[in-house]
Amino acid sequence: MIDYILTVLLVFMISPFLVGLIKSFKMFMLFKRPVSPFQPYVDFMKLIKKEVIYSKESSVITKIAPFMILSPIIVVVFLLPPIFHGSFYISFMDAFTITGLLSLSTFFLMLLGLDSASAFGGIGSSREAFIAALVEPAMILTVFTISLIANNIGVGEAALNLSFHFPIHHAASFILAGIAFFILLIAENGRIPVDNPETHLELTMVHEAMILDRSGPDLALIETAGALKFGVFASLFVTLFLPFGANLCWCLAVSVFVLKLVFVSLVVGWIEINTAKLRLFKVPNLLGIAIIFGFLSLVIYYILGA
Amino acid sequence: MLNVLVGFFLATLITELFTTRLFRLVFWYAVNSLFLGIIALYNGYRLSDKEMIIMGLITIVVKFLIIPYVLKYFFIKFKVKRQIVPNIAIHYSVIIIPIVLVFTLYLTTPVLYNFSSNANYIAVAISSLMLSLLLMMEYKNVAAKIIGFLSIENSLFLLGVSATDGMPMLVELGVFVDLLMLIVIINILFKYQGEKL
Repeated sequence: MIDYILTVLLVFMISPFLVGLIKSFKMFMLFKRPVSPFQPYVDFMKLIKKEVIYSKESSVITKIAPFMILSPIIVVVFLLPPIFHGSFYISFMDAFTITGLLSLSTFFLMLLGLDSASAFGGIGSSREAFIAALVEPAMILTVFTISLIANNIGVGEAALNLSFHFPIHHAASFILAGIAFFILLIAENGRIPVDNPETHLELTMVHEAMILDRSGPDLALIETAGALKFGVFASLFVTLFLPFGANLCWCLAVSVFVLKLVFVSLVVGWIEINTAKLRLFKVPNLLGIAIIFGFLSLVIYYILGA
Repeated sequence: MLNVLVGFFLATLITELFTTRLFRLVFWYAVNSLFLGIIALYNGYRLSDKEMIIMGLITIVVKFLIIPYVLKYFFIKFKVKRQIVPNIAIHYSVIIIPIVLVFTLYLTTPVLYNFSSNANYIAVAISSLMLSLLLMMEYKNVAAKIIGFLSIENSLFLLGVSATDGMPMLVELGVFVDLLMLIVIINILFKYQGEKL
């Protein structure tokens, strides 16, 4: 039980570091002087001290939305697969639970954007709805396929099964599901081919448009929710699609887990500096590929038995 | 191993269906052919069939290197429009492609019992045939239709490699010569595309 709590705390503590690491890696690769990867913690401490200002058009939704955005993601962190053998985990977590909880968070984010009664919020909410509607079926298909491959509907048990006896004869559908999940990781966290988290240009912003007039602790909560969401997706990707290292002793397993998370962040940063942002109406092409790859892995699992 | 290669063959074919740029389409066609060549090489190595290994090498050289290069050269020379817009909207093709995949599986189920080895690859080959037909239907541009035709040839080659334990080499070589002739004819067609004959 104590290792379970420590695992959850590890994911909580490392998520802002990963987001900061992507930013500093990008700046390093573009020959700028990189910011410290620990900058998100500093930002959090700065924002938490500032005062909150609510627009007079806003309703009670604006006051509760930051908590409702953060809390489903915190619940998902508690339900993540174990990172080493013998650790406690919750076994009823399946594809629908993850997707439902993340959608609840996205729903309140969209309400927050609409509630501020500014035009930008509406733009951001409609774009987010457009993307989220395409992300959800792909996410359910992908996680469902990986549960089928691993012979268990629960994500935790599936991760352990994959780690201990990897089904090498199902490699084809495994790799396709991995590609689909990586596209979802990029799309759902608003990284560059779908959304640019660093600009405030009205043509491009999706996530930033919704939180444009939030300040102080509210903004800190929403930023933390974004970082935690990246942490959740990265650790799901790492435990399900890079399943090795869980059967080592706990200290080695945890360090392998952290190294894999850093590797995923560096890959995301590397993709960000090498691609241009897609036009909004080109985003369905990318997500369509994710849906089709998820479906293809399911079909190949049944037809080829691979 | 063969499963992974066949899966990637299908995956690259589906990626072709989502592209909106001509050169990207040619690139994905080349990758598709590369996987096909590796399938033929691997299968030939497994069955210790020398003809199939030679066919795999020729596939990689002709379809992965020569045909994309020649096509790209002529597309630039004749100033073919490089932005290709699919007639079928992406939202519909997201639904149509799974329907085609499942439909061909049901279509081939009665046939599959007749084959002892590699029965499942036939379903994949026929579904990739259908997807290449979809690729031909999807684009109005002549250049994209050519890529669709070449993809049909690719999926027939996959059928030949996987369903039979190697076709006669003469047949396969004839197909390659036909393809090269086809490219020449297509380029003449391009040359007179805008003019009235």
